[in-house]
Amino acid sequence: MATRMKGERLVPYVLMIPALIILFFFRIVPTILGLGESFYITSFLAGGEKVFAGFTNFARLFADPVFWTSVRVTLIFNLITNPLQIILALGLAQLLNAKVKGINLFRSLYMIPVAISINVSTIIWKLMLDQNGLVNGILKSLGANAQPFFLSSAQSLGSVIWISSWIGVPFWALFLIAGIQGIPGQLYEAADIDGAVGFKRYFLITLPLLKNSLAFVLVAATVANFLLFIPVLLLTKGGPELSTNVAMFEAYRRGLIYGDIGTSSALVFMLFILILAVVMIQSYLLKDKWER
Amino acid sequence: MRKLFTILMLILVSVSLSATGAKESQLTTDQPVKLTWLMLEYWNADNVIQAYKQVAPNVDIEVEKVSFGDLLQQNQIRLAAKSGNPDIVSVDVPLVASYGARNWLYPLDGSISAEDKKAWIPASVEAGTYNGKLLAAPQNTSTQVLFVNYDLLKDAGITVPGPDDRWTWEQVLDAAQKVKTEKVWGLTWEQVTATYQLLPLIQSLGGKAIGDDGLTVEGIIDSPEWIKALTFYGDCFNSYNVSPKSDIPAADMFAAGNLAMFVGGPWDIRRFAGSDLGFEWGVSRNPYFEGGVAVTPTGSWHFGVNASSSHPNEAADFVAWLTEGEGSGIWWSKDSYDFPAQLKLLDSIETEPSFQEFPLAYMKTAAQEAKVNPVPRPVTPGYLEYDQILGNVFSDIRNGADPATVLKKAASQITIEMEKYRH
Repeated sequence: MATRMKGERLVPYVLMIPALIILFFFRIVPTILGLGESFYITSFLAGGEKVFAGFTNFARLFADPVFWTSVRVTLIFNLITNPLQIILALGLAQLLNAKVKGINLFRSLYMIPVAISINVSTIIWKLMLDQNGLVNGILKSLGANAQPFFLSSAQSLGSVIWISSWIGVPFWALFLIAGIQGIPGQLYEAADIDGAVGFKRYFLITLPLLKNSLAFVLVAATVANFLLFIPVLLLTKGGPELSTNVAMFEAYRRGLIYGDIGTSSALVFMLFILILAVVMIQSYLLKDKWER
Repeated sequence: MRKLFTILMLILVSVSLSATGAKESQLTTDQPVKLTWLMLEYWNADNVIQAYKQVAPNVDIEVEKVSFGDLLQQNQIRLAAKSGNPDIVSVDVPLVASYGARNWLYPLDGSISAEDKKAWIPASVEAGTYNGKLLAAPQNTSTQVLFVNYDLLKDAGITVPGPDDRWTWEQVLDAAQKVKTEKVWGLTWEQVTATYQLLPLIQSLGGKAIGDDGLTVEGIIDSPEWIKALTFYGDCFNSYNVSPKSDIPAADMFAAGNLAMFVGGPWDIRRFAGSDLGFEWGVSRNPYFEGGVAVTPTGSWHFGVNASSSHPNEAADFVAWLTEGEGSGIWWSKDSYDFPAQLKLLDSIETEPSFQEFPLAYMKTAAQEAKVNPVPRPVTPGYLEYDQILGNVFSDIRNGADPATVLKKAASQITIEMEKYRH
């Protein structure tokens, strides 16, 4: 009896092995290799050989104002984008849960940005926000001035936030719709009997019961937005005047354009630590009080 | 997470490849040899590869094509990984020093003698040489000419510049302002934020591209010459409003009749000559600033051999055949049509019957222009950083930034990046 119990207890671990192996080779090993790479520099006096250099790459980054600009841009971008996307996604999820005729059609329409590849939608937005694009055409026909959008350092980060949210909001709303639909109907019936209506119903039932979905969305959105890269690569290349130079793009530029894998790895590793810290704080704050 | 993962994977791949990149023993030349050649998507290499089969029947050449932006990046990643692929490297000439400093290219001097080197423009040989070794054999060079829509200028009452005329930028601007209308732009540059195309503006005023050590930029790229030249450039887009900020390629706008003048490469001569544009056009010499000197940009594609190739000698023999042997003529006349760096081919443009009539005769203008005052791009191991940071500067100035401010910032940015090449 005892050995059978023991065997049963092992089953879950055995079943997890394939996933753990994949996780190990495709997540853990690259992370360690990346960290290792960040301690090496290319020595040009040694004919381009890779040599161990301790924290040189980190020191180089800390001394470089461009790195600090990228940190600032990444933080500003995330402080605006994450709350914005989640609040809008929550609103959209609520609307798309309305029991009206043809709601499925609306749901499909709002999911189009999710279904289109991010590269394609970025390019379409690039054309629409062009100097001679659709948006400026509409502005001009309304008598307003044409806007430079991602050609000006004042508007470019806003344009990137707009495009990433155009894709992000319906995507995160997907999870929240599922969460809202998972709330048992009896709770609302009981609330009706107790006389809770409108906002009260929303804040006392919907939001608390959505907590798990929200926690997931918050963490996933934070990670995705800290690592945002494609719109910056396709639209602005970090410009104008570094106004959209997010950390991920700075890492790409150093590693794959300048060929400086060392500082690029150092930067990615620091970004990794930063995201880990932010996500841990978020998870801590989102836990129920008794869980803490 | 996926993007982080991708970056980490690339790092993993490059590390594991560098660990296993030890060179295998070389095959003798009679055994079958497969060489890979990474090249630009718009090149056709069928004719040279077919012809080389007659020369070396045992050598198979496999071509992989990518876009310009991807080519530089792929070279960077694959050469750094020391994977031996590609064997034949398409090298954009300003990167010779950068690749050389990293020991990525196999010296070609075993396959190309000092005598052979006389086949090329001397400036091209110099540009392909690093630390006294020929690392990349010249195949093409390039120059720039001013393309002019004769109809638009004549309608505005302007006497058009002939193929041998060289306007000053002041004259070009004046004409551009006169032809500018709601639908027609006056002037632009084909590679509008490219260091290659904009350096001559600065050099025309006597400005230097980089310090003599190939690393110093402070006091150089923020000098009065740079500021003056780039103020002119920025003003064309922002105050004179004669140049378009749109990303539509200049040659397309010109062909559509929406652009009166642009500075572009000789490849556009072939393109426009091959189709009826519906208006009269011509080319004249690359403009210069009043009181300055005439300067033309130069340099283009070179071919090299990957230092980690398993068959470096076979690859070097092919590169020699392609660039100074029989292959160069086939490449020029049948495959790429890019402007040749070989003296005999440049001279043939002057005499070949097909180049005696306009519009193809404008190729002669370009061939002469290539010899006027060609100034090579700066030789620096940090060209990638230099080029990228300046590209952003040009783009910012085009979007209205103050040249003095952004140049000052760029100078300190490039200085920081160059620091690593001093150690």
